[in-house]
Amino acid sequence: MRIQYKLTSLFFLSFVLCLKAKAADHLQPVSSGREQALAYLERINQTKESAHWPNVKSKLFYDNLKLNLEDKQSFYPGRSTNFCSYGALSYLVMEKDALGYVKFMNELYESGEANFNNNHFKPSKQVMKAAGTLRFKGVLDIRHAEQVWFLVLADKFKGYLNFFNKRFHEGDENTFWASANLSKFNRMVRKLCGVKVKAVGSDLIKPWVKDTYCYLQKRMDSNIVSLYINNRVIHKKNHDKIKFSIPTHYIILRQISKVDNMITIRYWDYGGETLMQISPRTFRKTIFGIITIDK
Amino acid sequence: MIRILPTIFIPLWLLSSCSTKIVSNNYYQQNKTRVDDIESRYEKLNAARPFAIAFTDKKLNILSIEMISDTLTRIYEFNANEKRLSDSLAKYNYDAAGIDILIKKMQQTKVTWINSVDYYVNDQPQQLIYLSIKPVTIRYLFSPPKYIALGYFRTPQSFDEKGRLLDSRRTKRIRKIKGQEFYRITDRICYTITEKYR
Repeated sequence: MRIQYKLTSLFFLSFVLCLKAKAADHLQPVSSGREQALAYLERINQTKESAHWPNVKSKLFYDNLKLNLEDKQSFYPGRSTNFCSYGALSYLVMEKDALGYVKFMNELYESGEANFNNNHFKPSKQVMKAAGTLRFKGVLDIRHAEQVWFLVLADKFKGYLNFFNKRFHEGDENTFWASANLSKFNRMVRKLCGVKVKAVGSDLIKPWVKDTYCYLQKRMDSNIVSLYINNRVIHKKNHDKIKFSIPTHYIILRQISKVDNMITIRYWDYGGETLMQISPRTFRKTIFGIITIDK
Repeated sequence: MIRILPTIFIPLWLLSSCSTKIVSNNYYQQNKTRVDDIESRYEKLNAARPFAIAFTDKKLNILSIEMISDTLTRIYEFNANEKRLSDSLAKYNYDAAGIDILIKKMQQTKVTWINSVDYYVNDQPQQLIYLSIKPVTIRYLFSPPKYIALGYFRTPQSFDEKGRLLDSRRTKRIRKIKGQEFYRITDRICYTITEKYR
């Protein structure tokens, strides 16, 4: 009887451990090399047009996917759009699961719907019609895969900023339809990359951190750090002194250093890296959210 | 107390509802030679090594310069007379003397921002030079600032009967640059009035 009891508990214990392991596997980021993704892309028939995406040109679509794989920093969310959060997200997705991205995009192009990391995407007809038609957004004009990707992400994920404009209409890439508040950004990262995300700060109040510079430097070593910033402080758009202090932009912080009380930051956004020197005071004024993502 | 509230709020509302008035509606024609000179100087300098300049203060003394390379964009802020500016330009192989002349001309003509904007026609890259001017204005309380933005295209553009810039000759779709409709000055140059200089 005792042996039977021990065997049952052992079986139960192994069953629980097995379940836990499976759950852990599920939560682990799927990491796949770019080489695999490029090899996958080579095997695809890249000449087929898709009825689901009437304005997307297959050559521009697949050339764009190839470029994304060859240079993960190439994602360009477009001039004057509200796609910057999806741009930062793309950077993280390419870090974590390049193969998953390419497979997802190919399936989405062929079938009009697809899954990414257990998230089902079935974009609206308006979005499918708009992809490939965005103009005067810089190089995004000819990047049809990125147009699809950004539009599909904005169509799928909604936050309170999108409350009054949930359905896409022409030109909505520049409006609140595409914007992302901090918690929406964190949710997107968690769902698409399958990683732990820790954020300080909010959409209105700056992070309660004693020394922002030290806080960031500590986290840069073992994590990817994204910042939610008020871009109008560092890229002034008019000469008014009184301005609303609200965050407007997401960037990926790449390096940070301090010399002679000036902070030098190197960050990624809009398809490339920028190096900038700012005073600690301006730096504090700029940052509204610090998002730490497991490497 | 309630009775005097309208006397306080109605004038305030009226003032805030008035928009900024640009004193001269013919700014480009009056400053054509100087503005065209700035554009052509920038075009040559930018072709050698890409950059953009913005004046971030009202007196046009402090400038933010973006030095653009394939791998990195460097953004620095300087006082226009600072020696560090020419040192930095020389360090990154820019024509420091040429850019210095450009900066002085921008200050004289009140050009607050100049850069090159890429766009695509039939999937082929094109460029236009975008510059903003801070004109003399009458500003009412709470009204936003106004700037004149000029777009210099390299090829003749299409416009509709109201003089609005179109996407192409074949479509009637209005082309917006940075969310703004632009109006014809010549077949290659167009303008808009905007609240942001960049």
